[in-house]
Amino acid sequence: MAEFEPILLANIDRPDSHTRQVYESTGGYSALRKVLGSQTPNDVKETVKASGLRGRGGAGFPTGLKWTFLPKDHPGPIYFCLNADESEPGTFNNRYLMELDPHQVIEGLILSCFATAASTAYFYMRCEYPLAWKRVQQAVDECYEAGYLGKNILGSGYSLDIFLHRGAAAYICGEETGLIESIEGRRAWPRIKPPFPAVEGLFRKPTVVNNVETVACVRHIMERGADWFKSMGVPPDPKNPRDAGSYGPKLYCLSGHVNKPGCYEAPLGITVNQLIDQYGGGMRGGRKPKAAIPGGISMGLLKASEFDCPLDFNGPGKYACLGLGTAAVVVMDETVSMVDFLHNSCQFFAHDSCGQCTPCREGTAWSLRLMKRILAGKGRLKDLDLLLEIGDTIGITPGTTICGLADGAAWPIKNAIRKFRGDFEDHIKRTNPEGWMRTDPVPALDLVEIH
Amino acid sequence: MPTVIVDGKEVELAPGERLNGIQAAARAGVEVPHYCWHPGLSVVASCRMCLVETGKKDPATGKIQMLGKLVPACQTPATDGTVFVTDNDNVKNARAMVEEDLLLRHPVDCSICDKAGECSLQDYHFEYGREERRADIKPFNSRRRSLGDTVTLFVDRCVMCTRCVRFTREISGDAELMVANRGAHEEIDVFPGFPLDNKLSGNVVDLCPVGALGDKDFLYTQRVWFMKSHDGVCAGCSTGCSIRVDENQDRVYRLKPRENPHVNQWWMCDEGRYGWKHIHDPNRIAGPRRRGAKGMENVEWPQVAKQIDSDLRRCSGLAAVVSPHLTVEEAYLLATYIRGIRPNALLVLGPIPVSGEDETFAKGFTIRAEKCPNRKGVEAVLTGVTGTPLVTWREFLDKHLPSGSYDGVWVSGGYVAPWNDTAVADRFARVKTLVVQDFFSSPLMETATWQLPAAAFAERDGSYVNHADRLQSFEWAVRAPAGVKVEGHLYWQLAGRTGLFRSRAVLDDVARAIGYFSAATGVIPDVGLDLKVNQLAGAS
Amino acid sequence: MNPAPVRKRVLTDEMVAKIKAYIPRYPSKQAVTLPALHVVNDALRHVPLAAIVEIAEILDLAPAQVQDTLSFYGFFKQDKPHGEVRAWVCRSVSCYLMGADQLLDRMCDRLHIHPGETTADGKLTLEYAECLGACEHAPCMLAGETLHKSLTPEKADAFLDNL
Repeated sequence: MAEFEPILLANIDRPDSHTRQVYESTGGYSALRKVLGSQTPNDVKETVKASGLRGRGGAGFPTGLKWTFLPKDHPGPIYFCLNADESEPGTFNNRYLMELDPHQVIEGLILSCFATAASTAYFYMRCEYPLAWKRVQQAVDECYEAGYLGKNILGSGYSLDIFLHRGAAAYICGEETGLIESIEGRRAWPRIKPPFPAVEGLFRKPTVVNNVETVACVRHIMERGADWFKSMGVPPDPKNPRDAGSYGPKLYCLSGHVNKPGCYEAPLGITVNQLIDQYGGGMRGGRKPKAAIPGGISMGLLKASEFDCPLDFNGPGKYACLGLGTAAVVVMDETVSMVDFLHNSCQFFAHDSCGQCTPCREGTAWSLRLMKRILAGKGRLKDLDLLLEIGDTIGITPGTTICGLADGAAWPIKNAIRKFRGDFEDHIKRTNPEGWMRTDPVPALDLVEIH
Repeated sequence: MPTVIVDGKEVELAPGERLNGIQAAARAGVEVPHYCWHPGLSVVASCRMCLVETGKKDPATGKIQMLGKLVPACQTPATDGTVFVTDNDNVKNARAMVEEDLLLRHPVDCSICDKAGECSLQDYHFEYGREERRADIKPFNSRRRSLGDTVTLFVDRCVMCTRCVRFTREISGDAELMVANRGAHEEIDVFPGFPLDNKLSGNVVDLCPVGALGDKDFLYTQRVWFMKSHDGVCAGCSTGCSIRVDENQDRVYRLKPRENPHVNQWWMCDEGRYGWKHIHDPNRIAGPRRRGAKGMENVEWPQVAKQIDSDLRRCSGLAAVVSPHLTVEEAYLLATYIRGIRPNALLVLGPIPVSGEDETFAKGFTIRAEKCPNRKGVEAVLTGVTGTPLVTWREFLDKHLPSGSYDGVWVSGGYVAPWNDTAVADRFARVKTLVVQDFFSSPLMETATWQLPAAAFAERDGSYVNHADRLQSFEWAVRAPAGVKVEGHLYWQLAGRTGLFRSRAVLDDVARAIGYFSAATGVIPDVGLDLKVNQLAGAS
Repeated sequence: MNPAPVRKRVLTDEMVAKIKAYIPRYPSKQAVTLPALHVVNDALRHVPLAAIVEIAEILDLAPAQVQDTLSFYGFFKQDKPHGEVRAWVCRSVSCYLMGADQLLDRMCDRLHIHPGETTADGKLTLEYAECLGACEHAPCMLAGETLHKSLTPEKADAFLDNL
């Protein structure tokens, strides 16, 4: 695995890798020139579709297929939103790309806009990435100077503007319609679907929302072809007609209790064990692993015995996790209390639930209150049943919420309690010997709200 | 005919009809509970109370394919072959979950909350909620903050349905209401210095499905289960909003709009909503009085009709000023009665109160400058009875009165605001027998021979015709004060009709006698009747 | 609409010009809301209520609409400016695993403030953040535009000493 030739991270070690000069010195913008010189938007769409590229933002939706949902022969304008809101705990690969190789992202973005006939691209970046903001803005300016943006790009007749739009610290702006609402100047309450963004999105016009890493892949697909892209990764399971495969390189974010946390590129499908051992330098302090998040906290938890889980779009689902998500692996060793971990997870989702729909707004807040009471030594075994019920009932999977944040809140609850039930029961019985068996309601904690 | 299946029952839709799951289910007699959906506002599907299961019936095979997960009924169109399931365990559990969620942090306020008795949270808990509370216990009462002159907010009772915010953005337009904060910290609020201050503000209280929004005028005045509701029509302007009068023991406590797609959709303006205080004003003319040698003397009602009649018959020239506040039936009875005494009696349309300009809001709701409910109806009655062009109040004052030809004049009023002054009163100096029928004293009333009380809109039976030729009929909601005989009853008696006043009988006469009203036979629908359309379709 | 109570103008000409420069980028003025809030926040270190009224006027919105958006994000302070330095200590899963909660507590103790508050001398506002996206450097802190990586108690003390 270590012999894998980096593609997305090929340039990051070069000094000034974020400048146009350095980017072009290694062939940067050759794909753009080639495509604008001789291909049509349809050609690009077909190539991307054939490549099997699936979105890297968390949902894994086939990118080429998403692009075909745009209405044919629409008079325009069509908008492209680049989702650089990266806020999924554990995830930082978009930051990497934007700080160290922004031109790669921009070339991919321009190609994607060309393919979808978008006239304006809004590059929505979270406000917590000041260096990435500076570098991407600088890169955009360089592109305008070089004629890669603006009117009649490279004489092709295609025109595109890219505008950076700064976020303000809300995780839900990473949801595509939450992002759209945020750009439009309102609170980022995700929209009900249908209509889907491709039909009625930003400013009620056809809109495509894609992730930073996804468009970077588009660049390479257009440079080296769909077949090349498919030569990496995991083909679809022949027994599952709905499996779209897991093709291409992937940036894996590794953090937590490993010796070498970092952003590593590998073909889709390596296992957690391989990631920890071959890239992460093994467990810190030689300790034993206990659990790992497979793809950002929303995806849930793998037990240490499940670290043979392949990190492709199908793997985590086989281990009762939500999916590959952002491929952000957070490793926990034996010193970690699962009760503490779950409290941290519930705290995150309660803080970032947009509050629009009842099951998520109330469910995330309720689960946090339950966890706080358990941590305060006043937990009951019945609380675990309530937590599981909340986890089993909120989300777009059962259909009870408008967006997938609730599913993200639910999976850590379900996985942590079901896979580590003993830990939770021990803690509750140990810290609340008088009351752990109670089933009737108990007085609420007086919680001091901060922020 | 497109057919939808709700819980196994088939419902036919009219071609081109666009309904959602909630509406389709209602057609089948099935309630789908909901908080955030309202037919007059955008669909947000955020409360999640209306979750149902849906599927499609294959027209060829008849096989039903269900989607497999819950969907909000409010955002699911009912088209041919759509299947809705609202009564299985999955749906019931989802409803119980949403209901439990809303009660987790809900203040224990029922005993001090205005909404008790008409509260969706209460009703749905009773129908669909869990048997017991499972969450931690922390009883508390709601915080309260004023949103403006008309509406107060009980912050913690809010279930974040956002109907009120959407109303101020989509209908009334000034967007005063907002959601503040995020997640479970969300609250409704206004921006400091920009209170909820628009002419439709009271509607947000109607919209609120729980007791979060309170009408300051109604707050703590009456429990809903003691009130009776009566369908009525607002008398505030020529829009003629369909309303409901809620009263207890002949005391009005509040007015609410009634849904009428042809007139007011679901709304009414604040002026109309709060414009009923005159009904219980202690300064109302309390009973009939006649000017005698020693000043005004009380007369008992049994004597009034006989004495007025004989007074009027002694006059050589008669005129009647017919107020645009009278119903169609009352106008007709008064006009024909006076003409019955003197066939050439002058019939005058009373002054039309006008204030400001017509104001139209998004989606068409309009507050009209003409501040009376029945000018069109009264006009049509007068021109129908006389066959001659209308005589206006201005003309009457400037031309007819000074001629000295009229020594007997009946002036019907019912104006809430002052409408005449001493200059006007002076014009009536030579009228020997002046009957003035009105709410309050005025210079004209003070010179009258007969001072008669007027009835309020909520005290009478009859019909109004609004600006768009729509006739709406209504019945009385509260009894008039003891000394007040409703105009209709008095005119019926003067006209020599026997038995109790029946406005329906009079309307039949009007429909037969005057072409404009020819469509007003038979049952008048709750939403009223378009006289013009139906008249063109066929009549005399 | 009610005429607004008379307030002293808060937005400078420069801020207004910056805000208006965003308008051609979007087909709707409401879309300039977030950029406008950032313009004001960058200049004043908070967005006072009076600024909301002025932004609303420029964008043809009701003040409540702008305030609605601002309050959703929790990023913008309104009562008074945040400290000269605004430091966010990440508390999401990777940083939590590496001891971020204890670090934040330690720093707050030393400064005698609660998370979210500003020191009495106005120099520093210390807050928690949700995932700063620098998990390979956990526990981390974003102070102004500087990312402090792999924060230790010693490094935290040094940071506070150097303010």
